[in-house]
Amino acid sequence: MAKEEETTGRGPGAGIELQEEDIFAAMREIPGYLDITPRDFKEIYALAFQHALERLSREMSVEEIMTREVVWVQQDTPLAEVAAAMGQRGISGVPVLDDTQRVVGVVSEKDFLTVMGVKESQNFMTLVASCLRSKGCVALPIKKQNAGDLMSSPAVTVRPETRVRDLAELFTDRHINRAPVTDAEGRLVGIVTRGDLVKATLAGGQP
Amino acid sequence: MKFAFFSKMTGLTQSPPRVSGTEVFWSWLGSFLGIAAVAYINDGFLEKTDLVLIIGSFGASAVLIYGAIKSPLAQPRHLIGGHIISACIGVSAWKILFFAPWLAAALAVSVSIAVMHLTKTLHPPGGATALIAVIGSPKIHHLGYLYALIPVAAGATIMLAVALIVNNLAPTRRYPEYWV
Repeated sequence: MAKEEETTGRGPGAGIELQEEDIFAAMREIPGYLDITPRDFKEIYALAFQHALERLSREMSVEEIMTREVVWVQQDTPLAEVAAAMGQRGISGVPVLDDTQRVVGVVSEKDFLTVMGVKESQNFMTLVASCLRSKGCVALPIKKQNAGDLMSSPAVTVRPETRVRDLAELFTDRHINRAPVTDAEGRLVGIVTRGDLVKATLAGGQP
Repeated sequence: MKFAFFSKMTGLTQSPPRVSGTEVFWSWLGSFLGIAAVAYINDGFLEKTDLVLIIGSFGASAVLIYGAIKSPLAQPRHLIGGHIISACIGVSAWKILFFAPWLAAALAVSVSIAVMHLTKTLHPPGGATALIAVIGSPKIHHLGYLYALIPVAAGATIMLAVALIVNNLAPTRRYPEYWV
């Protein structure tokens, strides 16, 4: 029995766990013979509850799950500063803004890897490998460049009212891990990542 | 492994609650009238003919359509569909395998259950309807595929009509849950 509880444990959220005696009591209130056991009903209820949570999480909007305090850079920010900011905050991409706070692009780890000669499989180990093969640092050729030179532009952005369901589709279709959130004028209001998406689909549906 | 197998036989949950006295009354009234209608026509009009209108499986149908009316098994689609499909399969089994009645009986019931599943018409008394087509009297065998029409379809329809009237006269009841 204890094992069963574990597997269905994430059903009715962290709060109320429906007991078979509750179901039994409810069944007594319904006139007529119900062709189901309390246990079967409980199982259906737990699964249905899970489906409801998933449905609600898909219907949530980006605004509810996005990060509002965004690390951003400008087009003329030197790449050394961009890389330092990303490293310090432990993030893998930053939006690039113009003077009017409009999002003009995104600089991500992938963009760095590309210009540092890692053409095919864009990951850290490929970079290490090419570093070990060459004389000197592969980052040297881009030392003088700015965020504007490196960024992917135009940026794939979303609006605060975009549905989380559509966001998941966008991430998958465009092979991206984050999208700046902009208002109607294209100004940055937040950022939403794959991590935010995962958190939103967790049981409880809490943002 | 062995322990797990046997532990599955211990049961997991309690039995559902007993229904109220009112429910018992309506179940009794419905089944009384339903079977009475079919039996009365059978005795009064078909006694001297080769036809019958009542078969044993209607007793089982009565349990469902007057006693467990919310069950999917008791809905009109299942009552009518399950009986007619099983009757056809039962008659076919007898016609093809009359020389091996045990095999005809087993196939009639098992194929009926499979086809009722596939057609979403599962109705337990259908299994009895199929079996009766094989193990029934010479009078039943003589009917051939007419068996599916009279008694099976006709009797089930009369019982359905009574169910629609009685179950909806009861203030706490509503029937059916769905038609198709």
